[in-house]
Amino acid sequence: MTESPPLFVAEHLHKRFGDQVVLEDINLSFNAGSISGIMGPNGAGKSTCFNVLTGMYRPDGGSVFFDGEDVTGLAPERIVEKGISRSFQIMNLFDEFTALENIMVATNRVRHGLHRPFWDIRADSEISHKAAEVLAMVGLTGLENSLASDMSYGQRRALEIAVSLATEPRIVFLDEPTQGLGADGRANLADLIGTLQEKFTLVIIEHDMQFLFRLANRISVIHWGQIIAEGTPDELKANEWVRTSELGKMTTC
Amino acid sequence: MSDALLKVAGMSKVYTQGLLKKRQTFRLEADFEIEESRIVGVMGPNGSGKTTLFELITGSNQPTGGQVFCNGQNIHKVKYRLRDRMAIHYHQSYQVRHFSKVLPSFMLEKPNSQYPYIHLFDEPQFSTQDGYIGFMLDFFKKLRGEGRLVFLCVHPQEPFHIEIMRSMCEEFLFVNAGKVSRASDYDGLLAVDGVRDYLGKLADI
Repeated sequence: MTESPPLFVAEHLHKRFGDQVVLEDINLSFNAGSISGIMGPNGAGKSTCFNVLTGMYRPDGGSVFFDGEDVTGLAPERIVEKGISRSFQIMNLFDEFTALENIMVATNRVRHGLHRPFWDIRADSEISHKAAEVLAMVGLTGLENSLASDMSYGQRRALEIAVSLATEPRIVFLDEPTQGLGADGRANLADLIGTLQEKFTLVIIEHDMQFLFRLANRISVIHWGQIIAEGTPDELKANEWVRTSELGKMTTC
Repeated sequence: MSDALLKVAGMSKVYTQGLLKKRQTFRLEADFEIEESRIVGVMGPNGSGKTTLFELITGSNQPTGGQVFCNGQNIHKVKYRLRDRMAIHYHQSYQVRHFSKVLPSFMLEKPNSQYPYIHLFDEPQFSTQDGYIGFMLDFFKKLRGEGRLVFLCVHPQEPFHIEIMRSMCEEFLFVNAGKVSRASDYDGLLAVDGVRDYLGKLADI
């Protein structure tokens, strides 16, 4: 796997907001089929990094390559069409739609564009079939016709991930997926993400070290707009402070 | 002959109040030289001039008198947007690039290096709740290993802050009421006037 070139590469990314340099010379690469983690303390620049990687922000310098193609500065919808998708820290679901309909809208968006009336999407059996497949991937089979607003928080998280899978991506970026989840919810989510690894390349931005240590093949630690540490979970866990910190102690799963 | 990594030569910064009748409100003075790569601990009460000192070293604040030489070049004569190739100021989680512009850029020179030799960390947020502190400390050591000069300004509030400073820093600066004192180790720092008052119970951890 190390022989083939990485699926996603970011080179020399710079981003500043006024007087604050939020990213300085960030280099990252993600191999196909891997789970990569980006972690860092709050306010360290990881969300900005994520937004630059997924095309929400244009970098002030540097480039982003997907499958060998320069995708720097492309509009978010173009990025999605290339096969790059992301979830959001704050959930973006249509509450008054069913789980299946939430997926169908996203699937339709990529296949047929924006200008299609909803009654037409709903009647499209091909799309509903595809959407049911996506729901199955995140373990929500049986909840197709539940309203998003009626679902539990953990189910909504899974549905949110399903929405990002509905655009038929090759690489999926998850923004703090454990946000708001308790220990059980985190464990379930970790299981879910583990199963997704077979089909997708995943990048997870996360404050929770424990969660990433369990899942990621490789982790980059961002602070002061730079990558201050990088390595496999075992390499990072070897750090004395990580071992003795409260979060480090919990990394037994 | 190689130049010192940092030379602060007879530098002063005076803040005044009032337009016609100027009254001095704050005066910072510093004169020291650090030859080679090391980690320097910086401590001092709030409002003593630590951040001002850092701003003067990175060229974001203009000194009233004296000069600052980073790797032999006077940083205050370098084009503003290129000063970060010489020294970088990190405030808490961010890098700060703010320059009070005195001269137009065309009157200033280019830096003689593309490699920032001086990194000043102003109150990095150390918490033992998570393990990030370990990565930060390793990062300081990495910069030090790359031949750079690292300043680590911490306002000690807990015993482990002192332990970190003792184990990481190869020398110390104590900034108090605009005066900068230098000590070659922690015991030397404790002997500096005012340090024990500042550290209180933490001094003898």
